[in-house]
Amino acid sequence: MDFNPCLKHQLIRKTVSEFAESEIKPHVSLLDKESRFPQEIVEKMKPLNFFGLQVPKKYGGAGLDTISYAIAIEELSKVCAALGLCVTVHNSVGIFPILKFGTKEQKKRFVPAMAAGESIGAFCLTEANAGSDAGGVETNAVEDENGFILNGTKIFVTNGGVCGTILVFAVSEDANKNNIANVFIVEKDRDGFLVGEIEDLCGMRANPVSSLFFEDCWVPKKNLLGKMGQGIKIGLTALDTGRIGIAAQALGIAQAAFESSVSYAKERQQFNKPLSKFQTIQNYLADMATKIEASRLLLYKAAACKDSGKPFSAEASMAKLYCSSTAKEVTDVAVQIHGGYGYSKEYDVERYFRDAKVTQIYEGTSEVQKMVIARSILSQPK
Amino acid sequence: MLNIIVCIKQVPMVSELPWNSKTGTLKRELAQGMMDPASRRALEAALQIKEKQAAHICAITMGPALAEEILHQAKALGADEGVLLTDRQMAGADTFLTSHILAKCIQKECKTFDLILCGAQTSDSETAQVGPQLAEELKIPAIGYVNCVEVKENIIEVQRHVDDFFEILNMDLPGLITIDLSAYKPRYLALGGVETAFEKPDIKTVSAGELGFDKDFSALKDSPTRIIDVFSPTTQKENRVLKGAVKKVVDQLFDDYGKVISSAMGKDLKTHEHDEA
Repeated sequence: MDFNPCLKHQLIRKTVSEFAESEIKPHVSLLDKESRFPQEIVEKMKPLNFFGLQVPKKYGGAGLDTISYAIAIEELSKVCAALGLCVTVHNSVGIFPILKFGTKEQKKRFVPAMAAGESIGAFCLTEANAGSDAGGVETNAVEDENGFILNGTKIFVTNGGVCGTILVFAVSEDANKNNIANVFIVEKDRDGFLVGEIEDLCGMRANPVSSLFFEDCWVPKKNLLGKMGQGIKIGLTALDTGRIGIAAQALGIAQAAFESSVSYAKERQQFNKPLSKFQTIQNYLADMATKIEASRLLLYKAAACKDSGKPFSAEASMAKLYCSSTAKEVTDVAVQIHGGYGYSKEYDVERYFRDAKVTQIYEGTSEVQKMVIARSILSQPK
Repeated sequence: MLNIIVCIKQVPMVSELPWNSKTGTLKRELAQGMMDPASRRALEAALQIKEKQAAHICAITMGPALAEEILHQAKALGADEGVLLTDRQMAGADTFLTSHILAKCIQKECKTFDLILCGAQTSDSETAQVGPQLAEELKIPAIGYVNCVEVKENIIEVQRHVDDFFEILNMDLPGLITIDLSAYKPRYLALGGVETAFEKPDIKTVSAGELGFDKDFSALKDSPTRIIDVFSPTTQKENRVLKGAVKKVVDQLFDDYGKVISSAMGKDLKTHEHDEA
């Protein structure tokens, strides 16, 4: 077992970090303050393959392995979690289901533009009465001669305000009048598709999270992803992949908060000595570092499982559960170490604190992750 | 096909370097390495030439085994091959021996080169000696501190900024140029490039023995120059806390430091008039 990162992974980390520190960091605070999606930065990210991280090269992507993908999201989120969110959602639950379940024609039609960053992906499951309970989806799809008519409202859609290619969960009736779940690919210029107002959220403010409306929105049959009734399978597979991305995002936030705390603890003087000389602060830093390291190992194990073709659902849930919990705890302590300044917008840690919380909620709450993990444990043969 | 050699160097990432507060020196063993910024500009110049005409880029570096990383980075950016000169016998080489070893390597591994590009000076030692010395070793012409390169048949035309004017020079090939740190803003590395570079991860490794040095050769001992000491320059810093009512404190600040601040800003702080000079 080799715990040392290979040269490729080191280079991926440095590459993303260099770009994020130079091109994103100077603007992050203002983007958060203005709740503005930085299209000008996205333009710079497009040729660097951020929008096709794991897309095969034949479709214009970088063709990275999952550990590289996790490292890229971690480093990006360390500087700007809202952009990290955009990139991970686009790559995982936006593109991956098309690569996994799409026809050749669908891959050729949708993936190159998505990998180039010209069409940002979104994944619409959550509704007013459905979220953790995917069975509660009310958006419906009625089949006509050549396609499907979609009606319904999706809420809290990450990338909603800038999306170009949308995967929509909708129920329809099978021949026996039973409800079945399906996934449709909807292009943003379809009649009947509307973007709602951008949500005013606690964190991730530079990501345009919004509601999406489908009002008699017709899509052709060739826009059905997978087969009729495969919606739950596609959704769960997509979320397994998405959870690796969110775990990486949470890890990046935690790492940023930790580094700020170490730096501040060395500089800030109280009682004529730096904070870092106080055992209480040392204990805080030790706990933060330990949790971050454990999070990183869980994350890379889940990514390695996916790369080796093994089942990784439980591993991805463990990584997501633990990394998001670490992010919440570490950012909380980071604010505490910074004292009054930590609560001020003058310092970045209050943003880390706000951004961290939602990692325990989206792409499956922590409670849902425990359900997934428990189901995996209990389904094992004796 | 233009055969280009780019000499690159791995240097410590100074922003992350831990300092030994007792000795005032860098703890290099704890430092992360990165491609020297001037080397990266030399590589960028080569990549821009390759975008305009058929060219083969060979990146060469000399250093510890870990320096392999920057050769992969060079390949990810668009270099065609990487050569790593690494051997304990070469450790501690000064600029004179570094140039000598690089020349021997080039004569052995890349005889048919047309153009050698180096960074003008590296960020860790800033001697600016290796490029010109390498040209002397290979008996080829050299031009330093170049801002712009254009290849024309068997000559190259370069431009450089000298004092307050630009100088345009022609040079026969083969030749060597060093690229100024202000020129050729390096491109960011695309993540797909990293993946491609590692699909064919071969880096040619060359030892001292393969270049004809005998087993008694030691670059550290045989270098004609020695570094006696490395230290961070001491600066005189004084912190003063001005206490009292704001108006009184500001007046005192102007009285004590007004001239210095005005001089640095180029305008009179009290009248807000700009200094015409």
